[in-house]
Amino acid sequence: GIPIRTTLDNSTTVQYAGLLHHLTMKARSTVRDIDPQNDLTFLRIRSKKHEIMVAPDKEYLLIVIQNPCE
Amino acid sequence: PRPPLAAMFADGTGPGADVESLWRSARSARCEAKSCQTGKISTAETAVQSHTSRDASVQTDQSKDAVQDFQQEIQVDYASLLSFLQRVEDAVIKELNKNWKSRAFDGFEVNWTDQNETVLCLHTLSYPEAQDQNLQVTSVSWNATGSVVACSYGRLDGGDWSTEKSYVCTWNLDRRGLNPQRPDLVVDVPSSVMCLAFHPSQPSLIAGGLFSGELVVWDTSRTEDPVIWRTGMTDDTHTDPVYQVNWLPDAKHRNHARLLSVSTDGKILVWRKERDGRLALAEGFAMVAQQIPRSTRLKKFAWGEAAVGVTSLSFSHFDPRVFVVGVEGGYPLKCSTAAETLALHRTGSSVPLRAPAELAFSPHGGPVYSVSCSPFHRQVLNLFLSCGTDGQVHLHSMLQTQALVSLQLSKKYLFCVRWSPVRPLVFAAASGEGNCNQCFCSIGDVHLFDFEKSSQKPAVSMKQAAAECPVYCLEFNIKQTRLLAAGDATGTVKVWQLSSDFTEQGPREMNHLEQLASEITD
Repeated sequence: GIPIRTTLDNSTTVQYAGLLHHLTMKARSTVRDIDPQNDLTFLRIRSKKHEIMVAPDKEYLLIVIQNPCE
Repeated sequence: PRPPLAAMFADGTGPGADVESLWRSARSARCEAKSCQTGKISTAETAVQSHTSRDASVQTDQSKDAVQDFQQEIQVDYASLLSFLQRVEDAVIKELNKNWKSRAFDGFEVNWTDQNETVLCLHTLSYPEAQDQNLQVTSVSWNATGSVVACSYGRLDGGDWSTEKSYVCTWNLDRRGLNPQRPDLVVDVPSSVMCLAFHPSQPSLIAGGLFSGELVVWDTSRTEDPVIWRTGMTDDTHTDPVYQVNWLPDAKHRNHARLLSVSTDGKILVWRKERDGRLALAEGFAMVAQQIPRSTRLKKFAWGEAAVGVTSLSFSHFDPRVFVVGVEGGYPLKCSTAAETLALHRTGSSVPLRAPAELAFSPHGGPVYSVSCSPFHRQVLNLFLSCGTDGQVHLHSMLQTQALVSLQLSKKYLFCVRWSPVRPLVFAAASGEGNCNQCFCSIGDVHLFDFEKSSQKPAVSMKQAAAECPVYCLEFNIKQTRLLAAGDATGTVKVWQLSSDFTEQGPREMNHLEQLASEITD
């Protein structure tokens, strides 16, 4: 994916955009393989340090990285 | 009338004497004319010509998906972008809020790797010849790739005069035929090596500081003579043993590093490499007692004009100009390479020495043997540890003079303390000899401390050797984060494999560390 707007630095943004684009496509195809009438609406990845949320669309992706305080 | 005597003598000329030259005739008498000729060389004429040819040209094609650079002008349809954002905004905000309040994942941890519950001793390395000479391991170091461990043999209790030979031995732990009694490389050194440091990016260079005050750099990939640079004994060299040597990244040239050496003569010197294999002094600092700033809260000792012996040094990971030194007087000091004031009473060196000390922290009850700056804490509240002969480890913040936490780890001298490179709350300390009649802790332990588990006693204590011998040095392996090397007085180096709870960072460790630092400063 090509980053349009970001609040992080360039290199991190490009990295996230590229990796998450592929992952989102893979997640979407997984959902549709299981049920062709279904489609991906939202993707959340939780890791030790933070949570990554991806809102997909036909043309755009919105990626939000949150540090959940517990 | 006398008879004419002259008549007896008459003029005359005698015939010349000839000596026939013999050699020409002799030579020609023995000469013969000969001729020789090579045998006939057979040659043949042939011609070669390619009978078919074809023209071809090669050109790279414009790649279909060109590399998109972020700075390029991208055609963005802002209207559709806006409608997209408006569509997803609610959903994303709802998820963000849910997350922030969620307790669903509390205490949920996933184990991706095999959990290793115990701490084991993987290797016990030693060099029998050095052990026969009763040499002790004075320093260990891991190389840039994390597969080679080097140790230096010498004597830490050698006193003022020591002319013992010593050795630097390296073992490659990833090699198949690793023989723990036979190092891969042994370098004979004419004087006792007190400290070692591998180059941070070139895996074969190792620097050592000697008892005589010199610094030597060896290249372990050279078979004939591994010495490539040395300081030699000049006016600039330390007059006391060098207790710590570090590689400093050189700001101007990426690949070249400078060497920094620390010695009990009070000088901290930075050396650069010259072409002829010499190390020349680039800049230097000297610690003089009068120039050490003392806060009014600390007790005043009678300092006088003595040089303050420096035993250890650690650079801050966040500000490369700030470093912490430990001195024989028991004070950890915060110093800066940007200091301008000249040191007093330091003459006789080619480069003017400066006084770097900016702040003195609360002292230990004895000399400080080791300091270590945390690689994790953020810039403002930089944490470091110091340990000394009083058996205590102090956790300090660079902002205040009083220690944040003081731990009495043992009644023994603590020779070395190091932060773990992966877990912000873990550090290791090496304990040694000392006068202890009543306590039950054994001599010669490596203590692993985890602030998350307990802030009073060590999480794990590893006994280095069956007999009681002090452990003088330890180093974490930065590349293979499970390994910890420790060297002791019997001349063995033990490589410990740490259990997974010491090597995997927990989810909230950074927060804990910051909490720990801030709750004590308040």
